[in-house]
Amino acid sequence: MERNPDKFWNPYLAGVALGLVLLASIAIMGVGLGASGASLRMGVAAVGAVAPGFVEGTPGLARAWNHGRPFDFWLSFEVLGVLLGGFVGAYTSGRLKAETLSGPNFPKGKRLLFALVGGVIMGAAARVTRGCTSGQALSGGALMSVGSWAFMFSVFAGGYATAWFVRKEWR
Amino acid sequence: MNLFPFWSLSGEARELGLVLGVLIGFGFGFVLERAGFGRATKLAGQFYGTDMTVLKVMFGAIVTAMLGTVVLSGLGLMDLRAVADYATSSTFLWPMIVGGFALGVGFIVSGYCPGTSMVAMASGKWDGLMAVVGVIIGQVGWTAIEHLPAISRLQNASDLGHVYLYDLLGLPAKVGPAVVAVAVAAMAIGAFLGAQKISDLVRRKDALPAEASSPSTRRLVFAGFVAFALVGLATMAVPTGTSASQKPVGSLTPIQLAGRVLDQPWKVRVVDVRPMAECAASRVPGSECVPLEDLGKLGLADANASRELILVGGPGLAALPPAAAAYPGRVAMLAGGFPAWASFALTPPEPPAPGAGPDVLETYRLRAGIAAAMTGVKAAPPPPVPTGQGGGPKKKGGGGCGG
Repeated sequence: MERNPDKFWNPYLAGVALGLVLLASIAIMGVGLGASGASLRMGVAAVGAVAPGFVEGTPGLARAWNHGRPFDFWLSFEVLGVLLGGFVGAYTSGRLKAETLSGPNFPKGKRLLFALVGGVIMGAAARVTRGCTSGQALSGGALMSVGSWAFMFSVFAGGYATAWFVRKEWR
Repeated sequence: MNLFPFWSLSGEARELGLVLGVLIGFGFGFVLERAGFGRATKLAGQFYGTDMTVLKVMFGAIVTAMLGTVVLSGLGLMDLRAVADYATSSTFLWPMIVGGFALGVGFIVSGYCPGTSMVAMASGKWDGLMAVVGVIIGQVGWTAIEHLPAISRLQNASDLGHVYLYDLLGLPAKVGPAVVAVAVAAMAIGAFLGAQKISDLVRRKDALPAEASSPSTRRLVFAGFVAFALVGLATMAVPTGTSASQKPVGSLTPIQLAGRVLDQPWKVRVVDVRPMAECAASRVPGSECVPLEDLGKLGLADANASRELILVGGPGLAALPPAAAAYPGRVAMLAGGFPAWASFALTPPEPPAPGAGPDVLETYRLRAGIAAAMTGVKAAPPPPVPTGQGGGPKKKGGGGCGG
């Protein structure tokens, strides 16, 4: 197969393909796609290994800890698949490469810090919204949940409102 | 007949379901990577008008899956509302608006959303790894404090329950989802064409070449959307089990009704159709007294269908009255009517014999609690809890990524 890192799928076809994966998940599993819930399990597993007492004494963490079996959860398996699928996709397209992506004139160290800080904001926000762009916007959006649609427009609003302030990171 | 979903995550099929979960995740990750979602520079382009891939892929996926579920449900193969109630979270309107805005800020700062950061990490991107670590820290940190009263109050504000776009429009259950799906598909096609125009303008100003595009592929995908939208509309004419006249009517036992009324009163609308005097004397908490002959005046056919309608009648109420059958949402009747409720919930249970099994004790404890809550009179305390028992049945988590 030809490996061209600059070649992506046509966005419309990619959208249909993603929609079919989502439809399969809804029809076969009865649940939509997700991501951030698995991040919580990973974090709780790490914290629980060091401080099990703290995890068991905090209501939300204890629920994810699941009596010492945090990964006994569908999203953990689904995200394992996401990592494998992302790896295979990147390998076969020639995009598998250790690198840091940012705009042309942005220092790499600062970019990594921004990625971390943005991640923390998203992680906290996804708890408040009961799901991230995968679980709310995609899955809830396709099932016409009112909250998911409000969430989705808000995500775009937040992104556009902030884009000007961080333009040096990307342009 | 509802074929879908197979509920692969429950019971004996759980192991197979988790294997399927890995496969579905693989498809998710692979498609995201191929769409370019493993690269922050491409994702960020959406917010500078130079690259509309995020919009096209996301809305394309939503329209595809939406049309798919609408067609499946129109053909009677899927109960759309039941699936959605299980797979989506309730609508917490203000937390979702404010949290969504914050997530958008995090998106443009980190360059990823939680799912795409995992794809980026898997393809070797250090910034993807940092975003994944950040999401984990944010999730654990917020989860550790979200039970604090001040935060919990804000986070659980404006809970509207499970409410869908077709409920807002007040459309009948039979046609609502198809009409909304067609409207969303039309809106998406309009947004795609508008986005293309914006991107062409911005890129010309920046002296960049136009976004790679293939008009024939675009036409093909749009034609596919239109075709499936037409199929979705056509299924409205197909008589299925979901039409109002043949709607499956659920039956609730008193213990199920007690569970619903006590745990999630905002999800049910209980209507007591006995004569007014009887209802006024004693009724299920939270129920409305609407004698049978006045049921038509409630306008149930046009009522908001987001709550389940539960009818409580006298012992003689066997069939569903037509006025209630016209309700677009789910309808259930209390088995045995009010007498069954009275003997279950308003009568303290007999204390179990000494040495009774754990199941009997559990049932007694539950019934005593319900009777005490409904009548305000405490029953005799239950015998001590036997040790060495496993926990109760495991509660299923909700779907989505909130987990």
